[in-house]
Amino acid sequence: MPDFPKPDHNQLLSTLTAAERERLYPHMELATVSLGQVLHQRGADIEDVYFPTDSIVSLLYVMDDGASAEISVVGHEGVTGVGLCMGADISASQAVVQSAGYAYRLPGSVLRDEFRRNGSLHDWILRYSQALLAQIAQTAVCNRHHTVDQQLCRWVLLSLDRLPTNKLIMTQQLIANMLGVRREGVTEAAGKLQKLGVIRYSRGRITVIDRPQLEALSCECYSVVKREFDRLVATPYIRQSA
Amino acid sequence: MPSHSPHNHLLDALTIDEKDRLFPHLEWVPLGLSEVLYETNKKQHCVYFPTSAIISLLYVTEDGASAEISMVGSEGMIGIAQLTGDGTMPNRAVVHSAGHAYRIKGHLLKREFSRKGRLHDMLLRYSQTLFAQTAQTAMCNRFHTVDQQLCRWLLLSFDRLGTDEMVMTQELIANMLGVRREGVTEAAGRLQKANVIRYRRGHIQMLDRLRLEKNCCECYEAVKVQTARLLDMNLLDMTQQ
Repeated sequence: MPDFPKPDHNQLLSTLTAAERERLYPHMELATVSLGQVLHQRGADIEDVYFPTDSIVSLLYVMDDGASAEISVVGHEGVTGVGLCMGADISASQAVVQSAGYAYRLPGSVLRDEFRRNGSLHDWILRYSQALLAQIAQTAVCNRHHTVDQQLCRWVLLSLDRLPTNKLIMTQQLIANMLGVRREGVTEAAGKLQKLGVIRYSRGRITVIDRPQLEALSCECYSVVKREFDRLVATPYIRQSA
Repeated sequence: MPSHSPHNHLLDALTIDEKDRLFPHLEWVPLGLSEVLYETNKKQHCVYFPTSAIISLLYVTEDGASAEISMVGSEGMIGIAQLTGDGTMPNRAVVHSAGHAYRIKGHLLKREFSRKGRLHDMLLRYSQTLFAQTAQTAMCNRFHTVDQQLCRWLLLSFDRLGTDEMVMTQELIANMLGVRREGVTEAAGRLQKANVIRYRRGHIQMLDRLRLEKNCCECYEAVKVQTARLLDMNLLDMTQQ
């Protein structure tokens, strides 16, 4: 038997009470999500929501001229389409799979109904949304004040925290689209990190070799975001397994 | 005194029962320019519903550089983290246009929020407008020129003021936008030369709204439309002219 991820591998799902599990599990399906797959189209209805276990989803904003940039990431700590609970019927961002893997899929209406029961899920979703807002705000500041080199470090670290390994499958073009910079900027920044022995980059695979050094080279934005998530949504389960 | 009556869109939208319970606890307080309502990562105890004041949510980096992530006027409230989180946020809240706001103790508002009525739903919808504005700021910071950003910032401010004149120094605008003061001076100079605004001794007057909008990036319109949709506001009401 292959080792399929359990719902508890998602931080939010791991907080559910027995009664909540009883109501939600029958509607939940384990889905494989692949690199580049679009889970929510910007401006479209949110039909299903996804609780990643070992996959990572990027929330992207796309401008009128097609330029795009990531505003936040969602991994095992969260859920996509959280706006649905807060009264937003359509997705403000485009949700794209940034790292392939598994996610639990749930009809959005089921999540919304459960949220409205005002149990523990309600409060966890609110705390999660608070952390997500902090991440988006930090992205705004990072875009203003920090170099592409620093931003690449932040981005790799945020991804790494959401992956079971130290390897990211990712082309430089995709990273450039996420960061909203030119590919050459990413190539240069990645080249510097490779030269310093911090990462190894070959054929679409980034391996992190020296994590402390990566953290030292990142701007403060990584640690600010991590602290907010740890403070607001880290559950005992995740703390033990981390 | 504000030129228009002291209204806040979120408070106006409450049910009669909610108003009966909540309004006795509201205080109408004056807020001065540059007054700090919340410090970064400090526990907050009060929530503010601006009527005529405008508040900027600012992030401050370790080396002291700052940037505004959202602005809040009579359409919104300050202190959502007291309802959704644990009452601390990694940002400051600073008054960027003096005026008034209704203030209430966070735990009293939380009690009403926990009843899960209209107030609960309105404030969550409001939090979504903050998401939208913050995300749009992130994009604007990445892709647009200081000139465009200044136009966006002025338009968002004037919409919340309900007048076409505001008290504001270029230094303060630079802190909000997170750019050097010289950049703001240049951009404002260009708008002044084109007769779009007049800038004089700390006062900015909007002379030509249509051209200010034309010089702006898409971010102003995007934020305005999303805010109106989520809060069920008339677009014209948001531009209180």
